Amino acid sequence: MPTSNRDAAVETEPSAATSAETTSSPWTTVLRVVLAIAIPVAMVIAFWWAFGFLRRTDANRLLIVLVAIVVGVGGVFFVFWAMDRLVDYLPRRLSESVRPYVFVGPALVLLTVFLVYPVINTIIVSFKDPNSANFVGLDNYRFVFTDPSMLRSIRNTAMWIVLVPLVAVTTGLGFATLADRLRHGEATAKSLIFLPMAISFAGAAVTWRLIYSYTPEGFGSNIGLLNAVKTGVFGGQPVAWLSQQAWNQNNFYLMVIMVWVQTGFAMVVLSAAIKAIPDEIIEAARIDGATEFQVFRRIIVPSILPTIVVVTTYMVINAMKVFDIVFVMGNAEANHTEVIAERMIRWFFIQADDGRGAAIAVVLFLAVIPVMVWNVRQFREQESIR
Amino acid sequence: MRARVTAVLAVAAVIAAGCGGSSSGGKGTTGNGKLTGTIVMMSAAQQNEAAAYQQIFDKQINAKVKYKATVESLSDFETQFQIRAKSGTLQVAAAPQPGALPKLADAGQIVSLESLGFNIDELNSLVGKSFMDLGLYKGQHWGLPTNINLKSMIWYPKKAFDAKGYQVPKTWDDLMALSAKIKADGSTPWCAGYESGSATGWPATDWLEDIMLRTAGPDTYDKWWKHEIPFNDPSVKNAAELFGKVMFTPGWVLGGAANSTNINFADAPKPMFTSPPKCWLLKQANFIAAQFPTTAKPGVDYDWFEVPPIQQQGVLYGGELTVVGKNANKAVAKDFLTRFIAQDVQCAMGGVPASSRISPNINVQQSCYVNPILGQSSTVLTGALKDGTGRFDASDLMPAAVGSGAEWTGMVKYLRQGPSSLDSVLASINNAWPQ
Repeated sequence: MPTSNRDAAVETEPSAATSAETTSSPWTTVLRVVLAIAIPVAMVIAFWWAFGFLRRTDANRLLIVLVAIVVGVGGVFFVFWAMDRLVDYLPRRLSESVRPYVFVGPALVLLTVFLVYPVINTIIVSFKDPNSANFVGLDNYRFVFTDPSMLRSIRNTAMWIVLVPLVAVTTGLGFATLADRLRHGEATAKSLIFLPMAISFAGAAVTWRLIYSYTPEGFGSNIGLLNAVKTGVFGGQPVAWLSQQAWNQNNFYLMVIMVWVQTGFAMVVLSAAIKAIPDEIIEAARIDGATEFQVFRRIIVPSILPTIVVVTTYMVINAMKVFDIVFVMGNAEANHTEVIAERMIRWFFIQADDGRGAAIAVVLFLAVIPVMVWNVRQFREQESIR
Repeated sequence: MRARVTAVLAVAAVIAAGCGGSSSGGKGTTGNGKLTGTIVMMSAAQQNEAAAYQQIFDKQINAKVKYKATVESLSDFETQFQIRAKSGTLQVAAAPQPGALPKLADAGQIVSLESLGFNIDELNSLVGKSFMDLGLYKGQHWGLPTNINLKSMIWYPKKAFDAKGYQVPKTWDDLMALSAKIKADGSTPWCAGYESGSATGWPATDWLEDIMLRTAGPDTYDKWWKHEIPFNDPSVKNAAELFGKVMFTPGWVLGGAANSTNINFADAPKPMFTSPPKCWLLKQANFIAAQFPTTAKPGVDYDWFEVPPIQQQGVLYGGELTVVGKNANKAVAKDFLTRFIAQDVQCAMGGVPASSRISPNINVQQSCYVNPILGQSSTVLTGALKDGTGRFDASDLMPAAVGSGAEWTGMVKYLRQGPSSLDSVLASINNAWPQ
């Protein structure tokens, strides 16, 4: 008896629901359509208000942060939820083919507005005068490839691209391999090396300014760590490290900072890759009589090569757009430590020459493309192996 | 995959930046015509200075009006100023480089004093026509002078100076003789520091301008910054050589000329206040007094004299022209600036102990300044403004590519590489002039 009772309940409920639906069907449809229109409209109004509010300078900072979080996180969620509901009301066959575009749509719109459009506009501006009013042909590009300071920035950036990833990945790989052998304290050792990763480039540069600090005689005591080591161990006079131009050495002092920040990242990623190598392979190699170096060269490195490539690419791109370190460390032009991104900011914002700034930006953009293509190709290859 | 993550982050960053920057038709315009809302004045003033000015704004302006004026202190003023002007979020800014204004005016990013409804004749009599004319472009005035500082100053440690029996030099030759005498007495005459981050080299340009004004005269000086004579003209070279004489004579500069480019300009006065002083003379504008030890008393422990005449005398000054952005509430901006430049507010600002600013309002009396040094400077400056003999810092009048680029870098190279580099340095500065 209980069974039949439950059956009855199960049967009646849906039918009741359907009957309710069918009886109030026209109203529900109207309501739904109204809702489907009203919700986006309300959303637009809410966003409009929120963006206006966020721009107010006199509002409570905490409140602004709160609104930004609620609108930013909740808003995005709500947009997708509302769009999804909207699609539900379309005829079933149509809705399923439309749904993917609805999900991808906002991202595509954002990409177009904030990435594609600026790229095209920058290219156009790069052919114009400082006020981006009149076209000047190739003048700005002629400047990029003839100005001595620009040429130096290109040369310096090339050095950054080669040296920073090379040193950072090599030391990172060394640390990862050696830390893997540690019996105790592997986590501590790795944490210490990873720590600088938490510091922004600008912050790291300010810290390193103190290390390179130099005070000429008569202006107080030298507080720089490097000068303390230099005068303490080797004797002699303190040195103004950041203006030492012989063999471009001050460029290398700046690169050290980025290496210091990024080695930890390389180490952590490579360490994870090393740990993923099956023990059997390494053991088999050892049984076959391979030395430790052979294991490293012929087993470990080939196994983690894809990871090394990814880490290196990431660093190449980072080195290519380095700006803060150079900018914080004094007059780049007088010290001959210019890099492309630094020149771009200087010409665009400080010298207020839109055309030249944009032309430098385009050159930088073109230089990044091969690295990107290479990276994507590498990624595809990895995917196809899987 | 990493690249993908980076790309997503980059997009996020761009979105964030885009949200911050967009503003056309923003709040600023909504209250047009009504004297309500807020107005923000960007300034390169130090934090503590700005905080003191805010108190004066609150008491003397905000208490009397329905809008609220705030002062914002920015250490990277030049960059932020350009960014805000471009993005249209600029309200009011006290810009230290009149040379940047024509470009902003051409781009329609700032509005002229005429279009704000100012009476130019009144302003001319208030701050002097010569200063007002620095903001003159295409027949309109684009900036209101709100701050002035005296550059033609040489500081010395008075107590030790007098004890040694040194005399304040009356001529350039006296100054050179004094330098030689200090060196002969076993000390170093000049303190010098030209480091200033990415603006390293700017204090050296003041030297060049002061000497240029005294050797070539005001007319050639005007031709120089207007580029009617080339930057490597013989008159400029002559001035640079006189500057080089001071810098490159062995034993005249503490640490040597090359090292002066590694010493922050704010640290340059330090050795002057040791006992005995390690250097005795420092050429720097009045605002450097803020960097002196707080225990040192003006007029007792230190004092200043004007850079002495060479072939003639001159007064070199720097200052700020305050501009109004295109999207600012114009009625509020005009009302605010009118109150701000008025004698009572300007006089009150002189009463701020943290202040290192001098009012360009020629009616503001010496007695307004709690700092006697500022008071003395103000008398020199208002005199020069009244008779129009003063000249503005040339590097701030030149296009940014020269005045805040090639010239700074050029001076650093000259100081580091020595007298033989002068010709190539001047030629490269001349080449940097926008065509």
